[in-house]
Amino acid sequence: MPTAAQQSDKRLLLTTQNLSIGYGKPLVSAMNIEVRAGEIISLLGPSGIGKTTLLRTIAGLVSPLAGEIKSKVAKRGGIGYIPQRLGLTRHASVAHNVELGAKVGLPWALPFKRAERDQRVLSAIKSMGLEEKMREPVRRLSGGQQRRVATARTLAQRPNLILADEFLGELDATNVALVLDAVNRLVAQGSAMIMVEHHEERAREIADRIWRIVDGKLLEEVVEVAVEKVVE
Amino acid sequence: MRRRLLFAIAILVISAWLLLLELVGDDLGRLGNGFDNLLVFFEESLWPPDWSVLEARSYPKCEEGVELFCSVAWIGMVETIKIAFIATAFGFVGALLLSAFAAKNLMPLWLNIPARIILAAMRSLPSIIWAILFVIVIGFGPLSGVLAMTFYTVGYLGKLQYEAIEGMDNSPLEAGRAMGLRSDEIMIGIVIPETSNHLLSQLLFMFEYNIRHGTVIGIVGAGGIGYYINMYLKFLQYDKVIALLLIIFLVVVLIDLLSMAARSFVTEDGDVKRPSWFTVLRSPTKAASHHHLDESE
Repeated sequence: MPTAAQQSDKRLLLTTQNLSIGYGKPLVSAMNIEVRAGEIISLLGPSGIGKTTLLRTIAGLVSPLAGEIKSKVAKRGGIGYIPQRLGLTRHASVAHNVELGAKVGLPWALPFKRAERDQRVLSAIKSMGLEEKMREPVRRLSGGQQRRVATARTLAQRPNLILADEFLGELDATNVALVLDAVNRLVAQGSAMIMVEHHEERAREIADRIWRIVDGKLLEEVVEVAVEKVVE
Repeated sequence: MRRRLLFAIAILVISAWLLLLELVGDDLGRLGNGFDNLLVFFEESLWPPDWSVLEARSYPKCEEGVELFCSVAWIGMVETIKIAFIATAFGFVGALLLSAFAAKNLMPLWLNIPARIILAAMRSLPSIIWAILFVIVIGFGPLSGVLAMTFYTVGYLGKLQYEAIEGMDNSPLEAGRAMGLRSDEIMIGIVIPETSNHLLSQLLFMFEYNIRHGTVIGIVGAGGIGYYINMYLKFLQYDKVIALLLIIFLVVVLIDLLSMAARSFVTEDGDVKRPSWFTVLRSPTKAASHHHLDESE
């Protein structure tokens, strides 16, 4: 568990000032948050309260109603977004989807970088155990496999900030471990992650901090860790 | 619910009938004689079709090994298919470009509106009017046909395509945008594969449509089998006309079968059990048990 001093040492990725979000009328207002490299934040709250809207606003898909976001994250390839419905190109192959991640992750896709890109795609697919499904269209895969494809795409991208919307959703225990292990490796290398979660217990296990939306306000809580977290 | 639906259909049909009466008035009585006329016309002029259109023309002299290759039907049909193919290919590419600009979920409104106006303009003139315009400008022949059909194809296919693009799932688009993919990467990497089923079926439909319309634009001198149809119509050789029409029908059916085979690569049909004739003819429960039997095999 990093101490408060260590925490402030970590590179600041994103801050907001008096941020208000919503469509037309505000769902959550006056947020002053900061996200640092190497931390995982769980976002909790009942349905329809603005969790997804917050992720979409940070991802730049929705404009803030008020306030501003100061981001040091690269415009291209800096954010890895896994929406609730995963955002995969269902009619294209697994490899095609993962390659989209590698494409923005390695911005200068010059011919001599081609080998590096292919290497990234392959290792991401392998680490998710999808080698045999590489050429299959995503629509033929099961829900759990599709979640692994979305994770592999993010792995190949290596973004600074991962935004994941309930992406552990319907995974079984083995797959949760596989996916979390991969995410933890990225975070250890300096990425940050904000993830919407429904299970409070699981959120506490995974995250360094918890954001909770209550009555249109964002409350923050630092998770006290009893057992040391296993990070490679 | 069902009664309301029946009521709505009844109102629709009755109002259309009243409109028809108002429009044509007493002419409706002529329909009775029409059928007798049709019988006479069919017996005396149309049937049997004159298949001499499949024999080599007397002039110019046939230099091919197979006589069919020098026949009116072959020469006309091949030219029509060539015109349709070229126009569909060029039209498809043009339509894809314009429809990307016209789709509301890809581009801002200030690009949507001009793209849609261009597409509407190209579509609002039917291909035969385009053909007349091009024949006036560049003269008789297949080039006018190709240009006329390409114009119409861009307008018509473009509309179908931007509607297919707007109907696609938003979530891959959002993921791609958040990741920072450029517009061209989103188009090539996400939109085209995601809408491939629609794009392919529309492309094949357009090809078939262009072949059917190749018969019409030939009439104004823009090349293809329509040129010969027009010629036989002028000389009142209706039995030759019907032979050519039957050949066009055959080609259209063939293309339809071809398109069914091509589309099976991208549809989700392959994931579901296809009903066989055997199961279609049986009751649903029996058919279902047949499928279950299959699965346990």
